[in-house]
Amino acid sequence: MIEEKSLKNKLFSLPGLIVAVVLVAAIALPLVISYFNLPPYQIHVFIVGYYFAILASSWALLAGYAGQFSFAHMAFMAIGAYTAGILGQQLGTNVITGIIIGTVMAGFWGFLIGVLCLRLRRTYLALFTIAFSEILRLVLNAERQVTGGPDGMSFNPLVAGTTSNIPPYYIHLALLIGVLIFMYALANSRFGLFWRSIREDEEAAAAMGVHVVRYKVMVFVITAMIAGLAGAVHWHYVSIVTPNDLLIRQMSIVITMAVIGGIESLIAAALGAIVIQYGLEFMRPLGSWRLVVFGLLLMVTLRFFQNGLLYPLLQRLYRRGAEAETVAKRQVASEP
Amino acid sequence: MILELKNIGKHFGGLQVLQNVDLAIEEPQLIGLIGPNGAGKTTLTNIMDGVYKPNEGEVWLKGERVDGKKPYEIARRGFGRTFQVTRAFRRMTVMENMLVPAMALHPGAKKREVMEKAYGVLEFLTIEHLVNEYGRGLSGGQQKLLELGRLLMLDPDIIILDEPFAGVHPKLQETIYEYINKARTEGKAIVLISHDMGSIFALSERLVVLDFGQVIADGHPDEVKTNPAVIEAYLGKDEEEENLA
Repeated sequence: MIEEKSLKNKLFSLPGLIVAVVLVAAIALPLVISYFNLPPYQIHVFIVGYYFAILASSWALLAGYAGQFSFAHMAFMAIGAYTAGILGQQLGTNVITGIIIGTVMAGFWGFLIGVLCLRLRRTYLALFTIAFSEILRLVLNAERQVTGGPDGMSFNPLVAGTTSNIPPYYIHLALLIGVLIFMYALANSRFGLFWRSIREDEEAAAAMGVHVVRYKVMVFVITAMIAGLAGAVHWHYVSIVTPNDLLIRQMSIVITMAVIGGIESLIAAALGAIVIQYGLEFMRPLGSWRLVVFGLLLMVTLRFFQNGLLYPLLQRLYRRGAEAETVAKRQVASEP
Repeated sequence: MILELKNIGKHFGGLQVLQNVDLAIEEPQLIGLIGPNGAGKTTLTNIMDGVYKPNEGEVWLKGERVDGKKPYEIARRGFGRTFQVTRAFRRMTVMENMLVPAMALHPGAKKREVMEKAYGVLEFLTIEHLVNEYGRGLSGGQQKLLELGRLLMLDPDIIILDEPFAGVHPKLQETIYEYINKARTEGKAIVLISHDMGSIFALSERLVVLDFGQVIADGHPDEVKTNPAVIEAYLGKDEEEENLA
């Protein structure tokens, strides 16, 4: 008989408790920082960490779950950010409207790129999306009157009337939690099942009745919208965005965060982003050497831990029962 | 009529792979499809399931013309296949593998019920103890069984089994025999492609032989076995005979 874990069981399991502890710690963090009179910059580091966590986890959904190795994720982020910025600066729309339209615009471009990339796989998909990102960056650089060109585009503040970074902290945290819950629900629904079957073998998935085209485009649109949403919110907080923020190097950082965390897990990719962002700040006294450490960590991960550094730990927690059950059943099956 | 191929032709560039292939499956029966390597068996299967579009001819499935339709559309209309090289979803658990076709076919189905059905199928295939194992953790034979299990979840009217016995342990082969018998008693048409002549002759009610992209024989296995064209295709022409010609 099949034993499907109930929601209650999941919540009170060890992984559920760990998630709860991390959540409480994240909510309490600004209070702890102000209680110990630590510099508010610490809060900023976590805000940037949450921004990267949204990008890394949504890229993990696209690449780790659906197998679409796109390098256009930062481009979708920039489309969301610049759309919101242009609307705010040129048309005077409010922040929320700008964020919503920026998100939709990123989804629209995700749809276009998804349709254009349908028949492209691996290297070709990567090259196509790199080309798209570079073209976008050059256009943003060239269109000075609209985008501000290399000088960047300024934004209205995310929260008007305060310079404290505590409200933006909670906005970013809420956004990260909301996005993770949404993606987790998708990944555990039939959509996630179909995305993973497409990642494994498109032809076999189609032979099993999976509408490959529909689900590939769908994952592009959803992840592009999430990236666009993250961009639109975050750059309102930072208050200025430049085309350099979608350099291929920025995309590489997002990919590295997801890879080191583990691209087959949304939570692991998000945690990877936060840990690495904090680690990079912690190592700031090392100057450029911190990037060397970062690079070495990536190389070690790719060579020895292809499932990432955090994902195997999480998987060990989640699949503890499953492995024991399989071993027991194997023994029973092999008995005469 | 379950499946009908009418005058199928397929070429890749200048290479004619299939020519004037006619095949009609009017009732649920077990048909063996054999032919030497390169005869066009897999290409024909790929045309049936929509991976390739034929250059000439038509494919009809249960009274509906399906050539030009996408593989997922054909699968949803009752066509199931396995692949020559096993294509289990390796980074998904056995249960997840089983859920894919069922959820694709019945989007509104309750997961719990689908899982119960999948577990029953896995029990029949004797791999229920691997339900939480990843596809990559299964042996080659177990992966073949998993592919067959996925087909039962798709519940097609016609099943193409491409080399189901290749590289499979004799004990697991017995399970595959049972699977084929079960599918037959459930009224499914089965096309069995295999180089294992013992199995083909033991199981088939009808045998179709392809050679150089053409059907050279189609009939009862006992008739086909003695057909000179078939003997020539497999054993080659007698040298003396060739000289006389």
